[in-house]
Amino acid sequence: MSGLEAIVGAGLAPYLALILFGFLPSEVWRVLGVVLSRGLDENSEILVFVRAVATTLLAAVVAKLLVFPTGALALVPLAARLGAVAFGLAAFWLTRRSLVLGVLAGEVFLIAAATIALDGS
Amino acid sequence: MAEGEAAAPATTRRLVLRGARDALALPAWVVGFALVGVGSLAQDVGHPLGAAMLSTLLIWAGPAQVVFYGSLAAGVALPLIAAAICLSSIRFLPMTIALMPLLRRPGQGLLAQIAIAHYIAVTVWVESLRRLPRMPAEERLPYYLGFANACLVTTTALTGVGWFLSGTLPAPLASGLLFITPVYFTLALAAGARTAVDVVAIVLGFALAPAFGHLVGRDFDLLLTGLVGGTIAYLVGRARRRRGA
Repeated sequence: MSGLEAIVGAGLAPYLALILFGFLPSEVWRVLGVVLSRGLDENSEILVFVRAVATTLLAAVVAKLLVFPTGALALVPLAARLGAVAFGLAAFWLTRRSLVLGVLAGEVFLIAAATIALDGS
Repeated sequence: MAEGEAAAPATTRRLVLRGARDALALPAWVVGFALVGVGSLAQDVGHPLGAAMLSTLLIWAGPAQVVFYGSLAAGVALPLIAAAICLSSIRFLPMTIALMPLLRRPGQGLLAQIAIAHYIAVTVWVESLRRLPRMPAEERLPYYLGFANACLVTTTALTGVGWFLSGTLPAPLASGLLFITPVYFTLALAAGARTAVDVVAIVLGFALAPAFGHLVGRDFDLLLTGLVGGTIAYLVGRARRRRGA
């Protein structure tokens, strides 16, 4: 009994909070996107603009995660975070655009830097 | 691969499986491991395993889920959490508008389109925008659904793993998990960049976000960066096309 309770919880409160204050405020943008994109052709000019805005937003999200990180990543110095991205990008280009090797290289660099930084403190 | 199969028309089943296989080659694991930390955060605030996994199925947006559980841990009032999540997920508006025209088929109802759009998150979006335009229009949706469902199921499972791992991960490993999102997105954006518009948009996004973060605070900085940088990137691309024409 207690095992099942650990999985689904003792009450509905976490689920209601999740749906009302987590799911709906986020999902509204996807629904609005569906409505606003109705009738748009995939080759239309406005889509070139919308795609540019979306791409910029994504790069901005990445930059924010790197410059203002949360949680354990904040313990790693900024130079190491940026260095790890640069290292991953270099590996990506050197391996003829392999995403797997690029991500792995960046991860190895960051975890090594994190180990050194956290040991020294 | 695609050329070899072009002789026989691809069946829906094969397209779904091909999408799932391509997702499991890397992208599904990237977004999955990136959300391990979300499971741990949910456990930290005392939410059950079911709610943690449901947060991935429903919200399907790492940053919003981190905001949700991080704010609960900090004791932020629920309406304020909802407002913060609404702001953090605004990227889905241009992302959905840009992707849906590739997936829309005659006869799709509004609810079906909303269900299709629910899968849109950064990983699925970047990879779809890279792969779908090259495919015949009628093959795109089954491929996309196979790809996106593989990502969603893998990530939901790994969110659950994170719930069990809460508090046991060494700090360097925990920082490595949090680093997956930025490093993968950077490489995926670089891999997907085809035109001058893409390149200018990526560079401006990286450069302007920290600046606007300091200037206007961390609520509206993303929105402003997207609009300003995206407009400049679009205008640069249009000027280049005019000159080329």
